[in-house]
Amino acid sequence: MNFHNLSIKRKLTLITMLTSSAALVLSALSFLIYDLVSFRHLLIQDLRTQAEIIGYNSAGAMEFKDVPAATATLTALTAKEDIVAAVLYSVDGKEFAHYSRTNDAFPKVLPPLSQDQGYRFDGGYLQVFHDVTLNGEHLGTLFLQSDMRQWSVRAKRYGGILCVFVLISGTFALFVSSKLQRLISRPILHLEDSMREVSVKKNYEVRATKSYGDEIGRLIDGFNTMLSEIQHRDGALRSANDELKTRTLELEKEILHRRQTQEELLTAKHTAEEASRAKSTFLANMSHELRTPLNAIIGYSEMLDEEARESGCSENVEDLRKIQSAGKHLLSLINDVLDLSKIEAGKMGLHLEDFEVLPLIDEIVTTVQPAAAKNGNEIKLHVSENVGFMRADITKVRQILFNLLSNACKFTDHGTITVDVDQNDRDGYMRFCVSDTGIGISEKQQQNLFFEFSQADASIARKYGGTGLGLAITHRFVQLMRGQISVESEPGKGSIFTVQLPTQVALDNTKLARAVAANEGETSPAGSKIYQDTILVIDDDASVRDLMSRSLTKSGFRVVVASNGEEGLRLAKQENPLVITLDVVMPEFDGWSVLKKLKNDPALTDIPVIIVTIVDNEPMGLDLGAASYLVKPVDRDRLAVLVERYRMAHSASVNRPHSAPSVSGAKKPKRLSELKSIGDLDHADDLVGRR
Amino acid sequence: MLRRLAILLAVFSMTLNWTASAGAQAGEASDSSEYLVKAGFIYNFAKFVEWPSTAFAEPDSPIVIGVLGTDPFGDIINHVVEGKKIGARGFVVRRFKWSKELKDSKDFTNCRILFVSSSEKMHFEEVVEAVKGLPILTVGEAPGFAERGGMIRLMLEDNRVRFEVNVEAAHEGNLNISSRLLTLARIIAPTGPVARKPG
Repeated sequence: MNFHNLSIKRKLTLITMLTSSAALVLSALSFLIYDLVSFRHLLIQDLRTQAEIIGYNSAGAMEFKDVPAATATLTALTAKEDIVAAVLYSVDGKEFAHYSRTNDAFPKVLPPLSQDQGYRFDGGYLQVFHDVTLNGEHLGTLFLQSDMRQWSVRAKRYGGILCVFVLISGTFALFVSSKLQRLISRPILHLEDSMREVSVKKNYEVRATKSYGDEIGRLIDGFNTMLSEIQHRDGALRSANDELKTRTLELEKEILHRRQTQEELLTAKHTAEEASRAKSTFLANMSHELRTPLNAIIGYSEMLDEEARESGCSENVEDLRKIQSAGKHLLSLINDVLDLSKIEAGKMGLHLEDFEVLPLIDEIVTTVQPAAAKNGNEIKLHVSENVGFMRADITKVRQILFNLLSNACKFTDHGTITVDVDQNDRDGYMRFCVSDTGIGISEKQQQNLFFEFSQADASIARKYGGTGLGLAITHRFVQLMRGQISVESEPGKGSIFTVQLPTQVALDNTKLARAVAANEGETSPAGSKIYQDTILVIDDDASVRDLMSRSLTKSGFRVVVASNGEEGLRLAKQENPLVITLDVVMPEFDGWSVLKKLKNDPALTDIPVIIVTIVDNEPMGLDLGAASYLVKPVDRDRLAVLVERYRMAHSASVNRPHSAPSVSGAKKPKRLSELKSIGDLDHADDLVGRR
Repeated sequence: MLRRLAILLAVFSMTLNWTASAGAQAGEASDSSEYLVKAGFIYNFAKFVEWPSTAFAEPDSPIVIGVLGTDPFGDIINHVVEGKKIGARGFVVRRFKWSKELKDSKDFTNCRILFVSSSEKMHFEEVVEAVKGLPILTVGEAPGFAERGGMIRLMLEDNRVRFEVNVEAAHEGNLNISSRLLTLARIIAPTGPVARKPG
């Protein structure tokens, strides 16, 4: 058994017992050794005395050579059991007489021995030599040999006694130490019991009883202190735990409550989204429904206006123009609302393309010129020499600048409107600055200037008209292109609007990039087979066909019309027109399908297709290969500009096949102004800004 | 002359016996006859006998050996004790003839050992009477010597020289005979011989 794992009781007992036994054995052994050594010494002395006596008594016999007498003297040693042999040697060393107990061998001749010793040990025997003298005369030597019987007997007996003694005292030590060890072991065992009770039953109220003031007593004190501490902490922990449980319950309740709230919120959100979708759908439907009649109103009033002027019925012209004006105002309102709803729905995308800035400015200035002239304003244009190309959504840039310019014209009476264009190559921004000498805007008004439905003053709406959406839309467009817009103004002196746009507007929509590619593709040279000036109009709406054909015919084109997709395809193959205008929403065979067929037909794929539709899905149209996209009601001027552009591109490719075609319709400002039949209408700006 | 030859012959024959029985004996008697041995014994007796202090005038006074009657030793005893000493005492040998006046003779009473020859057996009682109370060790050869008041009697036994001691007679002469000597001797009571004591 391993000593180290013994119980402390046994260890103490064993230690005490072993220690005392070891001391006992050691002292007993030393006593034994001492005793045996001194006993041996005594034996030697005894034997020597014996030898002396025998020698003395043998002297006479030696002197008188009386062997029997000497033998008789020696034989007296029979009483001494340890003496096994006795020999008398005469002076010449020869044996004189002997006595032998068991016929043991003894030296026949006196063995040589050292003079001073007189005794020696030889083979387990003690041998003593004694000179036999008489009156100082040396007569011979007596030799005695002892087997040390008493010594070995004594040694054995003492050994036995020692064993018994050690056994008895060991037992006694065991008894005493097993009694005494309790002094130490009992408090420790008690401590252990207490500890077990604490650790097994988790009963921290247990306390160990202190028996003595020794180290164990202090240990018990420490243990009790620790227990009190643990008990205290346990209590604290328990109360904290209880509190935690209460809190957790409260929290769970709270979470439940929140979850319910969340579900309610989710439901509310779904409802709101549903409502929003319904609103969007409603707006889309409304715009479609509103635009369709407007299309007819504006178109026919224009036609009537022209016809009235041609036929000289000047009294009707003014009324017709009022109809036109009101129709266009209504259209612009609808468009603004639609734009804004698209922006807010995040559906307003960017269609980036590279374009030259100067022609664009020229075009806008030309377009706005009538509105400026109406209030007697003069437009000054300052374009820096370093202004070149920029990459942006040209439509939106156009609309931004148009809005700013038309606003300036609107709020300035007989003043000067200045347009500054500047390109900063260092930070990569194009700066457009429109300043006027008009009524100006107060500081308070400036704060809300770029928010929806807020004009500088409610009275302004009455005086100048407008929806209050123009600047808001402008602001949103600038933000879309990551630019900035700011205003400086002093009431009565004028306003300065500054727009900064990146010269390279970032694009993160691959769809838009493809749209641009498609836009560029529209300018590719057309085949030589195209009949000049023939335009195919595909639309199921007879009024649209009528308006389009009249308008285009006026612009000097030959117009072929088709009332459905199949007819359109047939005519396209037959006529090989310069441009095809295509409606989307048609019965049976819609515009998308017609467009796909056109683009899949190698003979027809090069003919530019202009989508003219109520459906506002320009990206899809461009994706399918349309060259341009116009939303009804169609702005005749815009249509005229587009068609003119394709005709010029075509003629350029015919005349100069390797030169790049001109992109912007603004290259022909005179032609544009000729085509433009809308005069000094308040909101002509909005119309021009749209395709 | 004839007698001398006879003695010599006898001595020679005894020497053979002696030699045979005690050939290992060392000492002066190694080359002697019966009387050589006996002379040696007499010398040895001096070692085991203690005389009273008054017996000697001086600490180195010699021990006087007297031979009374026919001398069986001749010069042998002179040779044996010549130059010998016990303690500081040497030896002197004197020879006496028995007469009525001898007992008053100073020389005679100064003897410390008196060998009474067998030739004087007729006068044993007178001799014993004469030395009674004196510290004189009387040694004789005749049978019954010890029993009749002599102190030590030498004798031949199994061709070995042995001796008898009358302890009482010795005590009467204030002589102390060593027990060591007595262990070798046959102790004689005045009434008759007793068993030899074991050593």
